[in-house]
Amino acid sequence: MKIYVAIDDTDNINEGATGDSANQIIKLIEKNHWGSCQGLTRHQLLLHPDIPYTSHNSSMCFIADIEAGYLELLIEEASGFLERESAPGSDPGLCVAVEEQVKNLASLIHFGYETKNRVITKEEAYELAGKLGVHLSEHGGTGLGVIGALAGVGLRMTNNDGRFQGKLKLKMPGAIISVAEIISSSPTESVQSLTGHVLGENEEVRLGEKLKTVLLNGKRTFLVYRQEGRSEWETCTNAQLKDY
Amino acid sequence: MDYWIKNERGQSQFKGGRQDWVEAADIAGSCPEFLLDHEDELVAEEETSCYNCRFRRWTERTFICVKC
Repeated sequence: MKIYVAIDDTDNINEGATGDSANQIIKLIEKNHWGSCQGLTRHQLLLHPDIPYTSHNSSMCFIADIEAGYLELLIEEASGFLERESAPGSDPGLCVAVEEQVKNLASLIHFGYETKNRVITKEEAYELAGKLGVHLSEHGGTGLGVIGALAGVGLRMTNNDGRFQGKLKLKMPGAIISVAEIISSSPTESVQSLTGHVLGENEEVRLGEKLKTVLLNGKRTFLVYRQEGRSEWETCTNAQLKDY
Repeated sequence: MDYWIKNERGQSQFKGGRQDWVEAADIAGSCPEFLLDHEDELVAEEETSCYNCRFRRWTERTFICVKC
């Protein structure tokens, strides 16, 4: 069965990173042969003075394909992991949604977008999760991480939000590489310009320092741009990707 | 030059907004508290930058330094 797993608020100002915690849960699933996981995405939520985020208010989500019989065990083990390993003073939350059992995908997606636009309460998150039949639980502190966890699943389901964690490992910075090679030698599914042009397999890209992908149209997408007056494509900078 | 302004909560807010790459790198270069954030949260090309520091708290228009 296809499930979405999202967590939030596992760090504090000095230690921890929610992406690392999510990766540990991925390892747990794969090490125990409960199933296989797809790339981890980071989703930006609202920046507002009334929200007690550490520094950037983002949540992390991944998709897994697991045997149904392992679902409860996965939730139990992930919960225990968050309770044991989250940073002191953090407010971790966990959301696990079985895609085929979510009663209203549109309202979960709507909730994801809402968390980018207004301050949402924990009670609202629990109420929606209950209505939709989605697992939502808190594992320390105020438990406010449940809001971001539920939002992380909703935003991942949009197929058009978030950056994938980690960097692609291709060639050295400055190397020129074809789109076909990018796709065949990395998890990239599409190479696209910032203005929406999907590059053909024979087009070439000059690699930069940090090679990041984003989730666009349901695909792991490598974004590129052209400097004015130049014909070659270049990989986007961190600054260009910060709004994804 | 003073790069900071106190907000209504008494926190030190960067005057330069979210795209003053030069000033943010300049400040971080001489800041004893600078600590590089997780790779997924880096937004400036110059690694040593307030924009890449673990101790910045993003706001809608700029960031707050929690060490100032």
